[in-house]
Formats: sequence, C-alpha cells, structure tokens
Amino acid sequence: MTQAAPNSGTLDDPNARSTEFVAVQGGGDTTSAATLLVTAYIVMWALLLGFVFLSWRRQGRVEARLSELEKSLASGEPKHNAHE
Amino acid sequence: MRFATVRSRHYVHSVTGQKDKLFYALLAATAGIFVYLISFVFLKAPVAQLQAGGLAQKIFYFHVPAAYAMYLCGTVCCIASAMYLARPSDARDAVARAGAECAVVFGAMMLSSGPLWAKKAWGVYWTWDPRLTTTLLSVLVYVSVVVLRAFAGNGEAERKFASALGVLGTVNLPIIHYSVLKWGGNHPTVIGQGGGGLKHPAMVHALLVGFVAMTLLAGLLLWARARLALAVSRIARLEERAIASGELDY
Repeated sequence: MTQAAPNSGTLDDPNARSTEFVAVQGGGDTTSAATLLVTAYIVMWALLLGFVFLSWRRQGRVEARLSELEKSLASGEPKHNAHE
Repeated sequence: MRFATVRSRHYVHSVTGQKDKLFYALLAATAGIFVYLISFVFLKAPVAQLQAGGLAQKIFYFHVPAAYAMYLCGTVCCIASAMYLARPSDARDAVARAGAECAVVFGAMMLSSGPLWAKKAWGVYWTWDPRLTTTLLSVLVYVSVVVLRAFAGNGEAERKFASALGVLGTVNLPIIHYSVLKWGGNHPTVIGQGGGGLKHPAMVHALLVGFVAMTLLAGLLLWARARLALAVSRIARLEERAIASGELDY
C-alpha cells in the first residue's frame, strides 16, 4: 500500500506543494456520516416544505383570480382583463 | 327552484365538509407517523455496517420510501394521462398534472438523499450507475411534464402532449427497478430478488413505517395538488364563458 507523506509544509514553502497524486487506502475520507445524515434529512424536508409553500402561493393566486372574476361578474362591467 | 338551489348548496357544503374532515384526518395521521418515524430512525434503528455507510445508512429509511412514492405518483400520472388521452376531462388532466408534480418532488427527495448516502458508502456523490441514470432520466421526463404545463399554456394540444409524456415517464419506471438486476452497478440490491434483506427487526420496522408515511404523504400531496389544478381549470372555463357572453373583457 502506498501511503502519502503527511503535509508538513505551508503555503509559503513551494517545495511542500503536491507534485503528484497517489492512491491511498483509508486515509482520505473524513466526511462525517452524521453530517451527511443530517444534511440529507434537512434537504429532503426543505424540498417538501418548498413544494408546500409553492402550493400555498398558487392557492393564493387562484383565490385572487376567483375574487376578481366574482367582482367583474357581479358589477356586470367588462373592465377586468382575464389574463392579467 | 329556490328550494332546489338551497338543497344543492347544502349538499355541496356537506360533501366538501366531509372531504375537508378526511383531508385533515389524513394530515394529522401523516404528521403523527412522521414524528414516530424520525424518532424511531434516529433513536431505535441500529447502525448498519461501515461498508453500507454506517450511520449514513439511516438515509435508507427515507430514500427508499421516497423512491416508492415517486413510483406511486408516476403510476397515478400514467393512469390519469392514459384516461385523459382516451377521454379528455379537466379532472383527469388535474390528476395527471398532480401526479407529475408529486413525482418530481419525491424524485428530487430521492436524488438528493441518495448521493449523500453514496458519499459515505461509495466514496463519491454520483456515478453513472444504471439505476441512477435511469432514475434521473425518469425524473427529467416528469420535470418536462411540469415545465410544459407551467409555461406552454392550458390548451388541448399542450394537455395531450403532456399526457403522452406522463405515460412515457412511467414506462421507464420498471426499467429503473430491473436495471440493477440486469446491468449490475454499484446500487445495492438489499430488498427483493438477489438481496439478503434487512438483518435486524428494527430495520424492517423502520422501513415499513417509512413506506406507510410516504404513502400517506403522497396521497395528501396528490389530493391537494389535483384539487388546486382542478380549481384553476374551472376558473379558466368560467372566464371563457364570461368572455364569450361579454361579461368579461379579454
């Protein structure tokens, strides 16, 4: 197994920068499973709540359109533009 | 005549009141079961082996039911679309549209949670695995239905084209299911043919509760969106009639 040397250099030391990439086993993955799990749940709920919010807004537009239609029909005056 | 109108109004109010009660009961049941599911998954369900993602494997209890809910909504979209193509009606169009919209939402839930799990289990967020690719294709078909209905108008031709796309999207669903068996790939085959199953009773319980929760949620969303789409169609018809009779200016 090839193991990468620990990075002891800094940005000020040009000799410490990577000049090649080598495959390692068990050394690279530092992503926390808990973070991924919580992120997945947050993203899923955000998508769902976003959909419910969009539905709510669309419902509001439908109600506004219905009110306009009712007002126009009640007044009997052809002033309202149906496609506004 | 007056009596008939009053009776008719009373009947309509009675029917919508019953429907509302059923809707709120379904909403309460869905909320309750989700609270139970989340607490069970986080507190009781055991952590799986590291190869399966360890703690991240718990995404499975939402990811798989979301996929199932997408299949469910896609099937609803397909049936309503086929019925619309056979005999067009506003109600069938509304259900087909709702099915496509909900399939996109559940598809997005699945496609966002899966890569986060894959990052831990496979080391990458995405790979062009047969199941992942066919799933993405199917979700994109439903997205095209939603975009078409949102931006291309509400005419007969647009509705029929969207219905044809809705049927096409669902034809792809069995391919997603069997792709992993036919063509292999990274995607696990834990449940069903060739799979070893869930080796702990709490895992099985969490998954079953997840299926029930997502079924209820899919039912709720389908109902609400279909009702909304139908209301939009009815208002459009009323506007057309009002314009035709000169009561409304175009």
